[in-house]
Amino acid sequence: MDDNQEIRNNAPEVRIEPGGPIVLKGYFTFRDSSGNIITGEQEIYLCRCGGSKNKPFCDDTHKIIGVPG
Amino acid sequence: MEMDKTDKKYTNGEITVFWHPKKCIHATTCYRELIEVFNPRKRPWVNMDGAPTEEIIRVVKLCPTQALSFKYNKELAPVNTPETAPVLCEARVMEDGPLVLKGEFRIYDTDGQELRHMKMTSLCRCGASETLPFCDGTHRKIGFTGK
Repeated sequence: MDDNQEIRNNAPEVRIEPGGPIVLKGYFTFRDSSGNIITGEQEIYLCRCGGSKNKPFCDDTHKIIGVPG
Repeated sequence: MEMDKTDKKYTNGEITVFWHPKKCIHATTCYRELIEVFNPRKRPWVNMDGAPTEEIIRVVKLCPTQALSFKYNKELAPVNTPETAPVLCEARVMEDGPLVLKGEFRIYDTDGQELRHMKMTSLCRCGASETLPFCDGTHRKIGFTGK
């Protein structure tokens, strides 16, 4: 396994949930719109429907208003 | 230095600049010296990508009240992870805009299929893009607001 392959295998996963949020899982840096930064092993759910009252995070509002695609 | 809950921090991966608003007397030194980094008209007002690390350090040291201070990230206690683990990926939320992913990541679409390898992409947060899951700029047309 070459180095690049190893790096890719350790890279975090981004999953687009059907009708739901963006799921980020693994070791990465998360920077919110206020400039706050968290680096580490984490799993976060980000709003993709535009309707969450807790943006940028998902609060399950998509189950009420729906996410296209 | 004792942290206050109004304190903010900003990093470029190499150093972290701390801002202690309660100590700031608005001497204006920082933005007169380096508006590319310290711009009170912008949010966040500190842009760590605006100048090289050495230049940021020089200006932080000029702050007359210690409202600005900095530390090298390698001196800061690592959070959750071994210090040795390199950060491969940054996920950045743009105010009123998309989620920007940079670096190394694996991305899977709604059908579970892995998308082609990319080093940077923007994902829709407003729900109205015509190229989901990607951003196509529609958030501006619909006036999307979101932290």
